[in-house]
Amino acid sequence: MSATVAPMRRKGWRAPKFLLAIPSMVWYTVFFVAPIAFIVLYSFGTKNTSKKGVPVSLGSLTFDNYHKVLFEPDNRNLFLTTVRIAIIATLLCLLIGVPVAYFIAFKVKEKWRGLLLAAVIVPSFTSFLIRTVAWRIPLGANGNLSKWLQEWGVMSHPISLLETQGAVQLAIVYNYLGFMILPLFVAFDRIEHGMREASKDLGAGRFSTFISVTLPLAGPGIAAGTLLTFIPMVGDYVTAVTLGGAKGYMIGKKIAEQFGEAQNWPLGSAMAVLMILAVLVVLAIGAFLVWLTPKLVALGEPWWSALRRKLHARRMASVQVRSSRPTGRVAGDPWGALFKGGLSTLSTLVLVFLFVPIALIILHSFNRGELLTLWSGHTSLKWWRRVFDFGETQTVLLLFAGIVVLGIVAASALRRFAPLGSPARAAARWLPALGFFTAFVVCGLQSQWYRDVFKDINIGDPIRNSVIAAMGATVIAVFTGGLAGVALGRHPGKWAKFFMAIIFLILVTPEIMDAVALVGWVIKVGGPFRHDIGPIKYGYMRLWMGQSLYASAVVTLIVRARLAGVDSALEEAAGDLGAPPARAFRQITLPLISSALIAGGLLSFTLCLDNTIISNLLADAGSSTFPVALIGAMAKGTPKPFYGVAAVVLFAITMAILAFLAAVLKKSGDSSSQIAATLGGG
Amino acid sequence: MASQPEPMKILAPESFRQKLTRRSLFQIGGAAAGLAIVGCGSDEKKTDGTSGGSTDATTEGTGMAQATGDWSRTINKSKGTLAMYTWGDYNDPDIVGPLAETELGVSMKVDYYASNEDLITKLAASDGTSGFDIVVPTGPYIPQMVEKGLLQKLDKTLLPNMVNVDPLYLARDWDPTNDWSVCKDWGSTGWLYDTTQIKTEIKTWSDFLAACIGEGSGNCSVLDSAPNLVGMYFWANGINWTTEKKEDLDACEDYLVNQLASHIKGFESYPSSKIAEGAYSLACAWNGDARQTFVRIKDAGGDPSVWKWGLGAPATEIWMDNYSIAAGSPNVEAAHAWINWLLVPEISIKDLNYHGYHSGMKNMSQLISELYPALVDPDMIFFTDEQVKTMQTGAVNSAQDRQVEILSKVKAKAGA
Repeated sequence: MSATVAPMRRKGWRAPKFLLAIPSMVWYTVFFVAPIAFIVLYSFGTKNTSKKGVPVSLGSLTFDNYHKVLFEPDNRNLFLTTVRIAIIATLLCLLIGVPVAYFIAFKVKEKWRGLLLAAVIVPSFTSFLIRTVAWRIPLGANGNLSKWLQEWGVMSHPISLLETQGAVQLAIVYNYLGFMILPLFVAFDRIEHGMREASKDLGAGRFSTFISVTLPLAGPGIAAGTLLTFIPMVGDYVTAVTLGGAKGYMIGKKIAEQFGEAQNWPLGSAMAVLMILAVLVVLAIGAFLVWLTPKLVALGEPWWSALRRKLHARRMASVQVRSSRPTGRVAGDPWGALFKGGLSTLSTLVLVFLFVPIALIILHSFNRGELLTLWSGHTSLKWWRRVFDFGETQTVLLLFAGIVVLGIVAASALRRFAPLGSPARAAARWLPALGFFTAFVVCGLQSQWYRDVFKDINIGDPIRNSVIAAMGATVIAVFTGGLAGVALGRHPGKWAKFFMAIIFLILVTPEIMDAVALVGWVIKVGGPFRHDIGPIKYGYMRLWMGQSLYASAVVTLIVRARLAGVDSALEEAAGDLGAPPARAFRQITLPLISSALIAGGLLSFTLCLDNTIISNLLADAGSSTFPVALIGAMAKGTPKPFYGVAAVVLFAITMAILAFLAAVLKKSGDSSSQIAATLGGG
Repeated sequence: MASQPEPMKILAPESFRQKLTRRSLFQIGGAAAGLAIVGCGSDEKKTDGTSGGSTDATTEGTGMAQATGDWSRTINKSKGTLAMYTWGDYNDPDIVGPLAETELGVSMKVDYYASNEDLITKLAASDGTSGFDIVVPTGPYIPQMVEKGLLQKLDKTLLPNMVNVDPLYLARDWDPTNDWSVCKDWGSTGWLYDTTQIKTEIKTWSDFLAACIGEGSGNCSVLDSAPNLVGMYFWANGINWTTEKKEDLDACEDYLVNQLASHIKGFESYPSSKIAEGAYSLACAWNGDARQTFVRIKDAGGDPSVWKWGLGAPATEIWMDNYSIAAGSPNVEAAHAWINWLLVPEISIKDLNYHGYHSGMKNMSQLISELYPALVDPDMIFFTDEQVKTMQTGAVNSAQDRQVEILSKVKAKAGA
């Protein structure tokens, strides 16, 4: 996000500059702009449940729905409550995130940094829904924590936090904390060491260096972190549905209800439109404050410098006083040690906090009782047995491992025996990845494997659907996003501003809005979204389309950022040497962006694997993914521990992908900081 | 049929007839006639051809005893995946899992909804592409769904086991020819409360609402279903819950939004799991889910004996849910096969033992005493004549949109 575009312009380029962005433009127009336009239209309509299809009458357009949201106190309050929860949570994330990111960036040795970053990344990219569900375990009134606290006399009553706003507030901070820490870390990490040194040399204390040097320089990171947390918080649906009950109600849940049981699409549409307006207004206010702050600081400059001088004098004096003492060797160090100790304690606690729910879910997959969220006091493998056919699982895993190992062995053989510079040698670089991919395809698409591995199709099918949906969406995202990223990076122009505005809109539109917009739209568009085409089920088509939107925007940004860091002289040289653009693209640009494409692809795969809201509204019975099945069980049934088993399986898949991603990025020469930057959205 | 000398409550109450119908006289005549012909005599059976060889396979497979008497036990093998959209925890996990696989060759996939409005919106918005085969609407909603083209006609030649259903539960006025639906089961509504926290005994809906506002304030759950929400108020105030009068609905909205809403902790159609987690001290619940709650509490290491169930009073609802096939169903044949299989008495009663609702089979008391003599909490499944007399049938009428709006407003108020 923060990367700057190098001005590129090649003479003789005849095709329109946005040529490569055309697939994205078409995709976004048809599946983002158009459906949202319909939502805006519906918001002026009236509810009509007696007609077939979309229950909206557009006979006479009216402002009634907006009036209802803005002037009925309960609806208005719900809006304000939601925004309040999101603002408080964003501030809390900042408050916790800044010291932790600061600690990782400045106070930790390089070799530990990667590990600590991984400790932030891993939970953040684990299923959002599962992490939310996990909070029901420690917060339950009849849960173990509640019992222990009462036994120890800490509390006289059971914990009564579930089904309250408090639970939602807590979990929402937890859910998004990682997405605050990552960009903050990246921003801190990019600050040149010299700046802070200079500040200290000029006599600024630790605190004033932080306030007047470090923090302002980390501005872009704070902005990115705020965007990445605040926007999805406003549109949050999962947390409110899973933990909120009647009291922890949020606008995202309300909107979903209007499109469900309340059957009031026009009112829901008006709410969605107002929600995105609210997001934009808050962002505008935030941007205004960011713009205003330096001016205010500048205005107050005389006062500041006076203060700084005074502080400096006092500090010098105290240093002199201390050093004049015989034992004055420790000058300032006790505070420093305390400060560092405090920081490391806080960071450790936060990192543990990030892992607790995941550990609880893993533990509860071995619960002998009938409920995922309530520990029976006994461990048992029964739910694992219920989900897996161990024999068949072994076969599939062996097949998978076999193909991967084959790829690695072949690669190392080629490396050893093929002559340097031969194409075989180049192929060796890609063989392990190819092996992994082949194993994935073979094991993933081999007919009926999932029926063999998983005994219960209510677990097996959703897991398989999750993988199929995420794979298709990723292919679309990498194709459209990759091309658009190249266009943005290499052929910017006026169009780029307009295009970036759409990308920005896609990123800031709460998912629930896309979801409700697409529900009616897929039926309207029909075609492959209504009828199976050959072996391709329409349910998959919907999921591929729905999940690809956000992922494609993410890939676009990653590719664009990667190209911004690379000189375009190579492509120009190729052009000057007479290579047609297509060939220059294939031979020069593509290899340049390959690691960005892989990173973007893997990132979008994990995002899509976890997609809950859009999938929940778009999937048909045959294509429902794991998050869809789980949220159904949470809201309307009994979540059995086998959902925990499935969560562990998906957790393993995500971990494998993240490890693979880290390996790819490392191979292309990224440091752990750059990897974090990629994951944090560039 | 109720001639069993068992101490068990009357299992197919006479007064049911008046309750599940609105076109009373004609309907009663028809049902009673049906009862006279089929209900009493097993000598009347006409299913000789269909209750052949496959019969024994069924009961051997389930490892269950077989009920005596003449029953149709046709099993049509099928294949593929069958997707059902139904109410939470509404079938024995075996019956929608391994047993369906071995007996029918069908893999079941189950998804849940919390109210009929949920179901209808999902089906309407997807316009025949929901991918579901079987859906389970409540009776009065069926005509509306048929009108909107959300269901498809049943092929009754594929449902020979329908003869096992007590005629009392067939040909209801929402589907007089059973072209669109077959009875799944019927039940009622009441409440559950923790007597260690709610000291005052709850005997009526007024008591329940008072407890919600008083001792149980902030610990109370109500059903996430519009008619049930307004029903509590109407029953407490001696008004029929199907009222279409504006002043009734206005008063109801005023009470629910301004007095009750802020005390509500949850809108749960299936509170059983969360009660086991310790979330509520009192909850409104359908009788089958209430019965499961006791199992859940015990399973979670809690003490079920402090919890008390009460059937809604002075009046409460009676509902009947039905198996129907969704328009656009990808596997119509398997859907019929499965529904037909559920009408085999042993399967039906096995299912009943799990979900806890009267499944509408003929000779119910005989089936129970033969197949599940030790059925847990039968008085939460089978109601006495006096109880059934207090139950009111629901209706989908001009008040539907208003009821839904009230639920929406109560939710907004509760969360604000």
